[in-house]
Amino acid sequence: MARRTPPKDALGPAGGDASLPVLLRRRPWSVAAVAVCGVGAALAALALPAVLGVTVDRLLAGGPVPWRWLALCALLTAAEVALDAAVVWCGGVNSAVLTSWLRRRAVDRLLSAEPHRAQAFSRGDLTTRLTTTTGDAAGAPVAAAGVASAVLLPVGGLVGIVLTDHWTALALLAGVPALVLLLRVFTRDTAAATRDYQRVQASVATRLAEAVAGAATVRAAGTARREHRRITEPLTELGAHGRRTWRVYGRAVGLSSVLLPLLTALVLAVGGLRLAAGAVTVGELVTIGRYAALVVGIGAVTGALGGLARGRAAGERLRPLFALPVPTHRDAALPPDGPGTLVLRDVGVVRDGRRLLRDVNLTVPGGTCLAVVGRSGSGKSTLAAVAGRLADPDEGTVALDGVPLPDVAPHVLRREVGYAFARPALPGDTVGDAIAFGVDRPPPEAVRAAAGDAAADGFVRLLPHGYRTPVADAPMSGGERQRLGLARAFVRSHRLLVLDDATSALDTATERRVWEALDRMAGHRTRLVVAHRLSTAARADCVAWLEDGGLRAVGRHEELWRDPAYREVFQTPPTAPPSTAASASPPDRADHTAAPPPPAGEPEGPPPAKDREGAR
Amino acid sequence: MTSLTGDTARSATPTGRPEGRADTAREAPAGHRPGARPGRGALRRVGREGRPFLRARRGALWRLAGWSLVEFAQTFLTGYGVAQALDRGFLAGRPGVGLLWLAVAAVAALPAAVTTRGLFGRLADLVEPLRDGLVRRAARGALTEALAAPERAHTGAVSRATHQTEIARDGWAGLVMAVRSCLFTSAGALAGLATLQPSLLLVVLPPLLAGWTLFLLTLAPMAARQRAYLEADEAFAARAGELVGGLRDIRATGGAEQAAAPCAALADAQCDAARSLARWAAVRMLALGVAGRCPPLVLLAATPWLLSRGMTAGVLLGALAYLTQSLAPATHALMTALGTAGGRLLVVLDRFTAPTPPLPPPHTPQGETPDESPGEPPHGDGRPRPGGIVLREVTFAYGPGARPVLDRLDLTVRPGEHLAVLGPSGTGKSTLAALLAGSLTPDSGSLRWDDRPAPDRLVLLPQEPYVFTGTVADNLRYLHPAARDAELAAAIEAIGLAPLVERLGGVEGTVDPGRLSAGERQLLTLARAFLAPAAVRVLDEATCHLEPAAEARAERALAARPGTLVVIAHRPASAHRADRILLLDGTRVQQGTAHELHARSALFRDLTGQHSADEAEPDRS
Repeated sequence: MARRTPPKDALGPAGGDASLPVLLRRRPWSVAAVAVCGVGAALAALALPAVLGVTVDRLLAGGPVPWRWLALCALLTAAEVALDAAVVWCGGVNSAVLTSWLRRRAVDRLLSAEPHRAQAFSRGDLTTRLTTTTGDAAGAPVAAAGVASAVLLPVGGLVGIVLTDHWTALALLAGVPALVLLLRVFTRDTAAATRDYQRVQASVATRLAEAVAGAATVRAAGTARREHRRITEPLTELGAHGRRTWRVYGRAVGLSSVLLPLLTALVLAVGGLRLAAGAVTVGELVTIGRYAALVVGIGAVTGALGGLARGRAAGERLRPLFALPVPTHRDAALPPDGPGTLVLRDVGVVRDGRRLLRDVNLTVPGGTCLAVVGRSGSGKSTLAAVAGRLADPDEGTVALDGVPLPDVAPHVLRREVGYAFARPALPGDTVGDAIAFGVDRPPPEAVRAAAGDAAADGFVRLLPHGYRTPVADAPMSGGERQRLGLARAFVRSHRLLVLDDATSALDTATERRVWEALDRMAGHRTRLVVAHRLSTAARADCVAWLEDGGLRAVGRHEELWRDPAYREVFQTPPTAPPSTAASASPPDRADHTAAPPPPAGEPEGPPPAKDREGAR
Repeated sequence: MTSLTGDTARSATPTGRPEGRADTAREAPAGHRPGARPGRGALRRVGREGRPFLRARRGALWRLAGWSLVEFAQTFLTGYGVAQALDRGFLAGRPGVGLLWLAVAAVAALPAAVTTRGLFGRLADLVEPLRDGLVRRAARGALTEALAAPERAHTGAVSRATHQTEIARDGWAGLVMAVRSCLFTSAGALAGLATLQPSLLLVVLPPLLAGWTLFLLTLAPMAARQRAYLEADEAFAARAGELVGGLRDIRATGGAEQAAAPCAALADAQCDAARSLARWAAVRMLALGVAGRCPPLVLLAATPWLLSRGMTAGVLLGALAYLTQSLAPATHALMTALGTAGGRLLVVLDRFTAPTPPLPPPHTPQGETPDESPGEPPHGDGRPRPGGIVLREVTFAYGPGARPVLDRLDLTVRPGEHLAVLGPSGTGKSTLAALLAGSLTPDSGSLRWDDRPAPDRLVLLPQEPYVFTGTVADNLRYLHPAARDAELAAAIEAIGLAPLVERLGGVEGTVDPGRLSAGERQLLTLARAFLAPAAVRVLDEATCHLEPAAEARAERALAARPGTLVVIAHRPASAHRADRILLLDGTRVQQGTAHELHARSALFRDLTGQHSADEAEPDRS
């Protein structure tokens, strides 16, 4: 939705993504604090071994107790611990604040974009990006700040050893290549074992997904237990691969558990020989040992860099989200008391290279009812979307009462234009909220009146808490949901009401009541009705017949009826729109027959499917 | 359920019908609202189910401990070797002896290369069964949920379940290893300290214990913050999922700000939870500092006193090695594991503690025992079978408060009849199909099948064809495992499946459902229904993805099979092929031939598109 004022976190192109520089600029001081504390802790950790060595020497010398040196040891230790704690705290807070900032911005951006563009991502994918990905991306600045200290420690440790004793430094350097080699072997081996494991794991998931999608068959055939056996059958193989991953992991850990003591022993041996030769003191040997431990901790650098890479990759994944174009608008009002005349001029829509609408020229006089008919895929829903600016046409203009839709202030437009769909999503906590949901809050009487017109008042009153029943707790059929969706559209839509197959699940008696309400709007509200049923076309003042995205004919139903091709339009399935819903594609797309780009894979992530309705 | 693994041995209810299914059908999927289960008592619930799991694996635990003894010895020798190398070797002017002692310590580390593998093998004994059990539970839960409301079944729960079992697997393994390592390393280090000079323990233990106490004190609040954090995260995820599902409607109503507000509030709540978690993580770092970093300082401060009691330089260095190289890292690892993975593990495992009912066994309609054993070969083909169904005042509603979808429906299906059901969507056609096939039980009224058909003789093909990864033959035999190859061939021929089977490489070829079109999947299930020795076949728009010609061929083939055929019609042509048509419209029901209904019913003409222009404005009077 286009906003009149930009949200407080400007969505301008410069600050429009989730890249590291943007995040760093957002909270520079906090990240700086993390970096400073991290470096401070590293410096304290690097100073400590040297001080420790001197302290040990003084203690062993047997003179007066070196309280100053002991105090310095304590001070450095305390500083390191405190600064580490500060890093954890500041870093955690920083990532938390950035996560929330990214999430709010991403939600704003999604809501501002045209729905069909946002729906180019599958629902699960979007949810994952809003949740896990934002969290990962928000961690990037702290990870970047951590790289400095992660590098500082092993490098500083090496310098420390060199400064203390060259020979031990050389011994250590000789051992380090083995360490690096080990880290590489480890990553390669686990990758192979993990791949097999994940393959079998995916087969379990696939079997389960298949059985869940075929639940109606499984239930009818009473084969649930057989299915459970089939689904869990790969567990034996999965266990075998799982054991292999542990073995590989164990081998790597085993190697490192040998290598580290060997390295330490090597350093100590050289150090001990130097001690025996009188080249180093006992305290310096302690110093060397501690520095050696810091050098061996070089693996932390890979961890830090990995964290940074993960954060940046997550930022990249958010980029397409923040790159969603936001439709612009002006702040024009609509002429007062306009009848709702809708004019489409040379309207064309192209999506993913497919032409969904072409050269549509159509005038719907204010207060009349236009039925839009055509086979599925002929562009009916696209036309409906364009008529009320759910989507902008790629070519041509749409105007309401003489004002082009992009000029109308969004809050005005949404008060004057209402939509109802075949499978409405019902945001809002309670049933009453769901009907009232929208640009402003209508009074309760208006909500009830609209519910009455939509033949919903009766069943809503029968709900446990009437209009205050939480939507999640209200048992509703597809038809009942449709009626709530209709009521929601009736509440506003002062000039134009667009029904996109919105009565498909109603029985004829209920549909008649809804139509009586629609007929009462004649003269003061324009209605555009996408319909599959013959009776709807027959009722309308005028019928627009779409074929392959173009207007084949416009006229009264009786006139068109003479054309056999027109009659054939109604031979198509009278019930549900053809659904491509195989197991993977979410059924809630089915109502955009004209619009759906293929879902971009179904990633992991929790796509809650609260409003999934089976047509009964 | 007595343990986290294995299938339940609970005996099936004799009726074989899960009770209260109609009620649960309306409930949100399990785990959908994360805040629904109170976080309190998670440890108790997980512990209750975890104890039997561990008891059953006592052997694995002991073996794990056995392998860990090597770690004990290795730790013991690191400090002890350093002390001896200095005191007896380097400082005593005998570098050779010093090197020898260091070599001893180094050699003691060598077995670890082998034993670690054994260790991880035993770890697998503890971890893999947990995963198996969780996957079984997750599969059972997802199936139960899907069976309760097939029309709402979605795969989101599936990916969630697999994801969470992996979190549990990794978390559990990490925890086991950290606990074990900390235990045996600490024991080795403390034993070494006691051996070097018993008074060292006096100096070292107090700060160590203080640090541990501090950490244990942070554990409970830390776990609570962790849980709050995860729950806030999931609350946001759930809300974000709803928002993403409603983008079109939100835009159409102009409710962007109204929709964004709760999301922003939840994002902020999650931020608060994360801040709180970060504070406690900082406290944990302090506890770690006390436990890991204080003992060496105290040791140094006490050095003059210890030296006066005969401590040597070598002992001091050995003690420092124990404290800095063994105890501190082990403590660090355990505290981290407990503080992060532990909390997550608890939350995830708690999800799996909710009891899942056993899956329904192969059932018979209305819970009566089959009058022939399931394995018994069916009647030979060609013999007429009974397939009559009588419905009297059948009423069905989805949920106790909901309006009945079918209200006192009377219907007699004659044996061997071909009946078509027609009506606008939402009028109960699918419900009627499920009732006729015994998938649903009427809330009231009676529904009787002649001859009480066994399950393989009552076939329902829903609109969504169920084809699974496996061979063509496996898929075709799904309802009739005993079918002979010749019968398979006949079914393939009759339904017109031959081109597809050929493309897949014959009946032994593998079916990948994702690579078949919806129509091809429907053809497979139609052949499956043809093959089954059914007395009643119910097709619930099971041909909707087929071309009209293919639909006609399949329907004629099925109609020619012995037994009753009920077709929920998708196309008018389908209705015209039937002997009789049942027209559903809300509360009204009409029956008759196509000809009769055409004369009688405007709805029928509307649905079949046989309107005439003079009816252009019906019901407007």
